Amino acid sequence: MTQTDIRTVTRSEVEDFLYAEAEILDSWNYDGWLALFEEGARYEIPTTDYRGWSLHTGGSFVDDDYDLIQARVKRLKSRKAHAENPHSRTHRMISNVRLAPGEDDTLVVKANFIVSRARDGHFDSYMGRYEHVLVSGSDGLKFRLRRTLLVHEALQLGARLSFIL
Amino acid sequence: MPDEASERVAGPMLVEDWDRLTFRVNREAYRSPEVFTRERVDIWLRTWLYLGHETEIPDANDFKVRTIAGRPLIFCRDSEGEVHAWLNSCPHRGTVLCRETEGSQRRFQCFYHAWTFNNDGTVAAIPDDEAYADLDALRKNMMLRSVPRLEIHEGYVFISFNPDVPPLLEHLGEAAEYMTMIEEQHASGVTTLPGVQLYSVRGNWKLAVENAMDGYHFSPTHNTFVGYLRENGFAVTDDNQYAYNLGNGHSLLVLTGHGGRISMIWEPRFGEAEKQRTEEHRAEMVERLGEKRAHYVADESHILFVFPNLLLFDIEGLSIRQIEPVAPGHTDVRAWQLVPREEDPESRALRMKTVVSFVGPGGLATPDDIEAYEAVQRGIEATRGAGELDFSDMSRGLADEVKGTQGRSIDEGAMRGFWRHWEQVLGAGLEVTGDRPASFLEGREMP
Repeated sequence: MTQTDIRTVTRSEVEDFLYAEAEILDSWNYDGWLALFEEGARYEIPTTDYRGWSLHTGGSFVDDDYDLIQARVKRLKSRKAHAENPHSRTHRMISNVRLAPGEDDTLVVKANFIVSRARDGHFDSYMGRYEHVLVSGSDGLKFRLRRTLLVHEALQLGARLSFIL
Repeated sequence: MPDEASERVAGPMLVEDWDRLTFRVNREAYRSPEVFTRERVDIWLRTWLYLGHETEIPDANDFKVRTIAGRPLIFCRDSEGEVHAWLNSCPHRGTVLCRETEGSQRRFQCFYHAWTFNNDGTVAAIPDDEAYADLDALRKNMMLRSVPRLEIHEGYVFISFNPDVPPLLEHLGEAAEYMTMIEEQHASGVTTLPGVQLYSVRGNWKLAVENAMDGYHFSPTHNTFVGYLRENGFAVTDDNQYAYNLGNGHSLLVLTGHGGRISMIWEPRFGEAEKQRTEEHRAEMVERLGEKRAHYVADESHILFVFPNLLLFDIEGLSIRQIEPVAPGHTDVRAWQLVPREEDPESRALRMKTVVSFVGPGGLATPDDIEAYEAVQRGIEATRGAGELDFSDMSRGLADEVKGTQGRSIDEGAMRGFWRHWEQVLGAGLEVTGDRPASFLEGREMP
């Protein structure tokens, strides 16, 4: 399979990618999730007071380089990741997908999300938008940066980021 | 139909049995609304509380809005640079005066009737004020309401709603020294950064305190994190580490086997470039502080609890954690990263990544702590009203208290020190059987 030109990627292809990722995460297929990242990729969740700084220079909720993404996946697969054992039940809705060309043959993808999480008799809701940077590899789209921006003023009572948001 | 008796707290809150060497905490302490109300009055409205760090409002006119002990406050620096804590409530009718969470401004204007106040608390303008009989008296009486006391130690701003509280340094005692040691880590001093973790836990605030002072949970609770450290070449151990009661409810864990310390103790996951910078910084510390002081500042990790609402994690990196009880089973948590004012950008990036990989609701460790507080809060429902069964056990290492030997970090002595102070402040009820030692170890000698 030849590498796809990122400039020809359509919104529906990106939507398919995001929906497939949502399904992978909702079904706790973390090896499948890791396979969506190119080597050297990052996973970021800024805090709710975020105003655009690099996570290298400020606090955050998640500031994972590729090593930490792998460590996170390994942890989540362990029975000893107590915060997620038993697993949260998650339910993801993604919409408002927009595409823009990025630097170095990348695609900047913005999308809105609502993720609901059921655990311990409660439902938490997480709302925000994704601002991902995607690249096109020989086997389809991959994350170079997977970035989750919360619109909350603070994490709500009982909410946490022990799963992948 | 609920009767009045069920609202009252039954039995003593702490039970010490020196014949059987047991120390038990009544689980009503975590769930009773009456205990919560008494804590508000006897702890939160009486002693010193951590408000924030001076570096959060570095410049004149900067402000942050923050609720402490349930009271909305404006934490600000006035136009002359002086730090204040104003009640965030218009003196006129009580409206929330500042509805922004942070910013920089000389004046706060209430939107309701457009009363305007300078950030030094004085009245700037009251519209159509000719309708008031004595305008001078009005302007004087309607100044912003200040929290009665505010004092600063090493940039940590503390407030008290009690005008008669003893001086801050008297309250902090030995804890003050460990805050100074953080400031001494870097010649440039330390500063907070934006990127504040705001989250909220379904658990009593005292569970968050216990957890931080509980080295016993580290291995089982953080099994996956310990595994991550070991895989990355750090020999994690709980040997020869101790927990200290510092008096006034403050406590300290001194840890040397849980992980490296950025810019002070290198470990392989920090990378080769950081090794060189660590050696240089460590040499600078010896030059500046002397060998012995540099050792205590650099070579130990400290988890410091300052009663009742401040936790300082001086571990891989530096984090400030503030605890804000909302209800018996609801605690708000706020966490700031503290960094050297001057730092190599690569070290800074490493520091930020490393710190949040452990602490915070998205880290690889803190979520398991949160799971623990929440699981305790739910689990203790099983013994509600069940008399003797409705107690939690914190006896681990109690025999050391009889012998007068220093408790280990993996025992429960720092938690007992906290609970004993809590009980004394509240007069919540202590039941003692057998011969209680005349005194308990307090403080730490640094030779």
